[in-house]
Amino acid sequence: MIAGPLVLLVLPLLMAGVIYLLLRWTSISALLAVGTTLALGIAVLTLPLDQPVHIWGGRQIAMGEVVTIFGRELVLEQSDRIAMAFLFLTSAGIFFLAWRIEQQPLILPMGLGLLSLLNGALLIRPLVYAALLIEIAAALSVFALQAEGGVLTRGGLRYLSFTTLALPGLLVTHWLLERYALTPNDTDLLRVAATLLALSFALLLGVVPFHTWVPAVTSDSVPLAGTFVLTICNGAVWFLLLDFLKTYPWLRSHPRFESLVYMAGIAMVIVGGLLAPSQRRVGPLMGYAALIDSGSALIALGLNSGAGLTLAVLSLMVRPFGLILMAAGLSGLRARNGGDDAFEALRGLGWQAPWSTAALIFGGLSVAGLPVSAGFAWRWALCRALASSSPGAALWILLASAGVMAGVWRALWALLARQKDRSVPSSPEGWLTAVVIVVAIVACVGIGLFPQIVAPLADRLAAAYTFVGR
Amino acid sequence: MPTLVDLLARVSFLAAMPAVAGIFVTASLLVVSRDWRLNVTALIAQYFFVVLLLTRLIRLEVAAVKGLTGWMICMVFYLTERRASLLEQSPASNSASSPQRWHRWVISARASFCLLAGLLVSVAAYTAALRMPLPEVPNDITLACYLLAGLGLLLIGLSENPMQVGLGLLTFLSGFDLFYVALEPSLAVAGLLGAVSFLIALATAYLRAAQITTGDGVRQP
Repeated sequence: MIAGPLVLLVLPLLMAGVIYLLLRWTSISALLAVGTTLALGIAVLTLPLDQPVHIWGGRQIAMGEVVTIFGRELVLEQSDRIAMAFLFLTSAGIFFLAWRIEQQPLILPMGLGLLSLLNGALLIRPLVYAALLIEIAAALSVFALQAEGGVLTRGGLRYLSFTTLALPGLLVTHWLLERYALTPNDTDLLRVAATLLALSFALLLGVVPFHTWVPAVTSDSVPLAGTFVLTICNGAVWFLLLDFLKTYPWLRSHPRFESLVYMAGIAMVIVGGLLAPSQRRVGPLMGYAALIDSGSALIALGLNSGAGLTLAVLSLMVRPFGLILMAAGLSGLRARNGGDDAFEALRGLGWQAPWSTAALIFGGLSVAGLPVSAGFAWRWALCRALASSSPGAALWILLASAGVMAGVWRALWALLARQKDRSVPSSPEGWLTAVVIVVAIVACVGIGLFPQIVAPLADRLAAAYTFVGR
Repeated sequence: MPTLVDLLARVSFLAAMPAVAGIFVTASLLVVSRDWRLNVTALIAQYFFVVLLLTRLIRLEVAAVKGLTGWMICMVFYLTERRASLLEQSPASNSASSPQRWHRWVISARASFCLLAGLLVSVAAYTAALRMPLPEVPNDITLACYLLAGLGLLLIGLSENPMQVGLGLLTFLSGFDLFYVALEPSLAVAGLLGAVSFLIALATAYLRAAQITTGDGVRQP
């Protein structure tokens, strides 16, 4: 019998090696990566946990079997299933676009390797090892973020720095909580643990003032790799946070939990909303848009209710639709403009790269949370939930969305400006690239029109985290 | 022929305040200096002093393995910077090498600022060691942990150069490792922390190589 958790860890790693060897044949390697992640995503979502399933040659696979490696347990729980399916299916989307967008898609093997580590972080018990695996994933992601022959990425370095700084807090918290189990009267241990956890997750999630790595990652890194970090790696951190809240219920019943999470979210929304419209390049604009989205998700979590948690999870699920599209558009435009994504330098490029422009604009609309886009589905529900209890927060979220829209509008204005003599010659976008981008846009608009496709999944995942009353 | 463990046992008399002083000197050198040869030498010495202090908290063999990991990291930095300096060197720059070499020993405004900031952080680390002693570790090791973490943080904040940031991250992690081995002596954690350090070194070396290839082009936001 094959243990399911082992397959989820080993298969992506094996395929990463195979795909690295086949990397010069972009189509084969990309489609292999998409196939692997799609298959694993569907398998983890559909295979039952409580009974083994027959696969080929009379072999059986048991998804719910506990695996022990070096004395540490790998356990696939109900909450991890949907979380891992989200990681796999989002990766499939990124790899699908990387197929047509990236010239040297190192993101394919690196992404699969990172998936293996992040899955390990979700499966392993105790949680202390998850922190170490996320740190290793951050170090490896630098190789995907840095474009070969491209300018030096500050984003990769900053992401690595902030993740490293978050590591001690998570590791020491584990020791403090073990100590508290032995001396339950010593409540100082809980106070220190809560402070360390708050600081560590603030660093990992890019809470203001530790947000500088977020725009840096999108500013000068490979755009789809940056999106991988902001959706998959960041998603894994969110699920780790939810795991912590589920495992240690005293954390969410802490008197300052709601206000702290709420204030952190508001700070991200305000800073992102103020800085997004003042950007002069598309890359940082995308980073600040992602910052606002993360902040809004924190505000939803700060509601400390079942509906709030569902909205936070839904935000994680729809964020990739907008960010992947934006990254694909940005990548296409940079490739045709010598790597420059300044608004001034992009003038008139929209007529030469219409599909990349469309991807950027539709992605921007979704991340801003405008109607008929994936982002609208959860952002509108959040504003409605906040309208009665804290209208100020709802107003800030709407203003921040307007800020992102202003930035996207400036980009569109520059892209569609009539330029008679563009000095940089550019190759036309192929029909296959157009098809891939159209599929992604249709998916983004489709989720906006029919949010009931992902909402039940978000609800199921939120229900698996039993730390809030539903 | 004596083994590495024997050699460590022979110098164990240094594993107290002399090692802490050594850590202070080497970490301060990393903060002030931008000469890669000096930095790699300082990092080698820093790992030696950290290993000496580790021998008081964990088994000698485990401390020796941690030291070996650290020295392998130094080797990665050495090879990367050696290659980078060869690529950066041009025939025209050789003729001007003697005044440059002379200028290297004159303390610049940047170096003075770094020295002052390093001293301030060291004073803060000393005060923190007195006021907030870390659990499960003696006072001198507490001071070493604070010094490494503080000066490591300073290094990360002072530069955007991949190698300087890498040195800062590794110095910070050394400080944390020195404390955490006393809390969690598990070999699995020790192995994973070693892997983290090594991957940080590889990632920063990769970024340094990219920096050299593209001619130090950090794009402004």
